[in-house]
Amino acid sequence: MFPIAFSELIQIFRNRLVLVTSFIIPVVVSAYFVRQHETFAALGSLGYIAAIVLFTVAAFGLYATTVTTLASRRQNLFLKRLRSTAIGDAGILARLLLPATVVALVQVAAILTALAMVAGGPANVPLLVVAIVATVAMLIGLGLATAGLTNSPEHAQVTTLPVTLGVIGVASWVGVTGTENLALLKRLLPGGSATEMVMNAWNGGVAVTDSLLLLAPTLGWVVIAVVAATRLFKWEPRR
Amino acid sequence: MSTTPVIEVERLNVKYGDFHAVKDLSFEVRRGELYALLGTNGAGKTSALETVEGHRTPTSGTVRVFGHQPGDRRAVRPRMGVMLQESGFSPDLTVRESVRLIGTLTRRTDDVDRVLDIVDLTGKAGRKVSQLSGGEKRRLDFATAVYGTPELIFLDEPTTGLDVQSRDHLWMTVDRLRENGATIVLTTHYLEEAQQRADRIGLMHEGTFHREGTVSELTRTLPAVIRFSLPPTAPALPVRAATDGDGRVVIETFDLQKDLHVLLAWAQDHAVELRDLEAGPTRLDNVFRAISG
Repeated sequence: MFPIAFSELIQIFRNRLVLVTSFIIPVVVSAYFVRQHETFAALGSLGYIAAIVLFTVAAFGLYATTVTTLASRRQNLFLKRLRSTAIGDAGILARLLLPATVVALVQVAAILTALAMVAGGPANVPLLVVAIVATVAMLIGLGLATAGLTNSPEHAQVTTLPVTLGVIGVASWVGVTGTENLALLKRLLPGGSATEMVMNAWNGGVAVTDSLLLLAPTLGWVVIAVVAATRLFKWEPRR
Repeated sequence: MSTTPVIEVERLNVKYGDFHAVKDLSFEVRRGELYALLGTNGAGKTSALETVEGHRTPTSGTVRVFGHQPGDRRAVRPRMGVMLQESGFSPDLTVRESVRLIGTLTRRTDDVDRVLDIVDLTGKAGRKVSQLSGGEKRRLDFATAVYGTPELIFLDEPTTGLDVQSRDHLWMTVDRLRENGATIVLTTHYLEEAQQRADRIGLMHEGTFHREGTVSELTRTLPAVIRFSLPPTAPALPVRAATDGDGRVVIETFDLQKDLHVLLAWAQDHAVELRDLEAGPTRLDNVFRAISG
């Protein structure tokens, strides 16, 4: 079941560039937010810090790694090689992305646990977990779609910018200004409703049913990303 | 033993936009056969081969491998090994890790060390793929193709970049696999390899078969050749001849045995030495030149 995932994990740890840019930097940035939690809580709320941590790891870590890994494995024909074995396409992708996803979830869990210990925990843990899972699913979907537009790992440094900067920007906007104004726009932008959901889960004070409604736009983005991925994703480099 | 062909291709068409790469191609590969798919550049052999391997979907027509669609990976792949034209290994994995990974994913079982030994990469087992030479990467590719001794093996340009010793070694391994009943599909630019080893050849040109048959069926379509050098004082030849660029005499004939006999008798009678004498059927190269010329 796991030979591809295991080989991916080996490759992540052998490739220092991927290790540093995708796994260490997001942790360092997140640690900074946790350390300066009083400043950022005053600016937004503790829920805002939780959302920023989630999006930093999921966008700069998981999403960027997904795009870079898939572009690189396609460019050196490793994807084609995997497709000449007995395993199906969906199985190949799931196993390739499993290690980075697990690493991202562990990172988020660890950093949010640290935040809870220094500043107080979330009001609703199950809701927080749902928000994290939906956000991770959205960024994996966007990663698959972006990989279709990316020719090489170097090219990924450019093609990932709109989504990484975009979702961090949306999360900061929603986190700092709330959703009292321009609520519809903020909730429909990718990451907007997920940010609100994380804040509700952490800060409390909002009915769970209202928060769960916020899942719809995030899952909508998952569907859009997956549809785009099925059209854009290529298994072999263009000749 | 079953007589069902291992590969059946019927009226296969592959198109990329306006470009018609493969046109109404039909052929079959029988169990235990070494079938060479040859062609000029851009003849469509890679498109045809990749469709049979299951990397490409046909625009129309049917392809069956062991009676299944090639895309049915679970059914087909455990029974076939593929040596791709370009390597496709992760540079950060070692040789041993690569063989183990790809080997395991074929769902065949084998001993990684045994396979590394076959391709003479035991000493490089712990090296990263990025540190291998081009020839070593080809051997690694061959190792994953023969892992678990599959019934059907695709060899796409298997000896490109290999030195003579590695080439001989590879063919020795292929011969051994064939003794055990393996079916081989080969593409190569080294026509003498196909001429020496193929049971049958499909010769592609512009998307379809220009000719298909055994080596001798193909070479028989062109005259056999006798070639030698003559001293300037030699009397007139008994058969029609021409001179090549190096001043050597060239006789093209559809009746090699008779004309060679006449020539040798003439040389004996006139005490003429036929220096560097060569005689034989035309080479596959010439069949190629005839279609692309």
